[in-house]
Amino acid sequence: MANQQAAAFEKQPMWAGGRSPFNVSYGKLMMWIFLLSDAFTFSSLLVQYGAQRFSNVQSAVTTKWPDPASIFNHFPFMHGFHLPLLFVSVMTFILIASSVTMVLAVEAGHRNSKKEVQRYMFYTILGGAAFLGCQAWEWATFIHEGARLDSNMFGITEQGYKHLASVGFGDHFEWEAGDRTWGPVPFAALFFIVTGFHGFHVFSGVVINVVVYIMTIRGVFERRGHYEMIEKAGLYWHFVDLVWVFVFTFFYLI
Amino acid sequence: MEFYTKPGDYDPINYVPHTESHGTSELWKTFWILLGITIFDFVIYFVMGPSGFRNFIFIFFGLVKAYFIVGAFMHMKHERINLALIILVPTIFIIGLIMGLLYEGNAIGQIK
Repeated sequence: MANQQAAAFEKQPMWAGGRSPFNVSYGKLMMWIFLLSDAFTFSSLLVQYGAQRFSNVQSAVTTKWPDPASIFNHFPFMHGFHLPLLFVSVMTFILIASSVTMVLAVEAGHRNSKKEVQRYMFYTILGGAAFLGCQAWEWATFIHEGARLDSNMFGITEQGYKHLASVGFGDHFEWEAGDRTWGPVPFAALFFIVTGFHGFHVFSGVVINVVVYIMTIRGVFERRGHYEMIEKAGLYWHFVDLVWVFVFTFFYLI
Repeated sequence: MEFYTKPGDYDPINYVPHTESHGTSELWKTFWILLGITIFDFVIYFVMGPSGFRNFIFIFFGLVKAYFIVGAFMHMKHERINLALIILVPTIFIIGLIMGLLYEGNAIGQIK
């Protein structure tokens, strides 16, 4: 009788009520919808960056939009060497690695393995903290070089581009007089706003992960019978990684 | 464990569907793909000179990375098509915003 009832239930249309047409919990559905809204937030910031950059492709007042990788060419303990893109690639690797440990924690949660969830959540938190440390170093170096919100001294002149072209990867490099001039004003401001907004998301993600980690240690999910909260925290964490893919592409590669 | 999947006892607030582990092989495969693309981007940046084609490569592989993160890590490949559509379809509007504002930005650049 009960089986017949269940079979009849399975046959009725998905939107007839009595179950979730998405087959996810309320919390997970709301997390997805929040992430959709957050995707619009980040795309508005990145589109703003694109519009500003396209309006400075050729300009009589200021120089061209500076090549970002030639400005972010520093690496910790390697002062004075021309190492474009290396440090951000390391940051990207850290974020991808912490994404993997996060998804391994989710997978361990499906098997109700408390020990493994704990271990992988710990690695994820470490990865997030390492990424934040890298970003703090990057910001500090950029500000030390003269980046400000209201001006941009990173306009690269013709001479500067020739100088950059003459140095290879890993060579000693210092800006010379005449290499740089005042450039498009929003360059540094947009860098700080977009990477800052992303960094704030990473920070919130680390806080969420720490909360979930403590809840795991205290056995909250074990008593609840499922580790769905890890999945929700994981969705947020992967979204942060997803945004970084585009920040990395548009701020450093292009 | 208690799941509300039978008619009559479905509680929309507390309902949690039963989930099965798919194993870790797909996750590690995705990790190697993402790492490979990042290294590929790094190499292409130095091998090719700046050009529109290089930018196209970077954006294309950025979208490939996004596909793998959303599909495998965020589990979207294994979700119902209903959920995938309500989340992914609205992002089409972003493409319109990009095209419109890049065109306008370029036009402002012409008269600056």
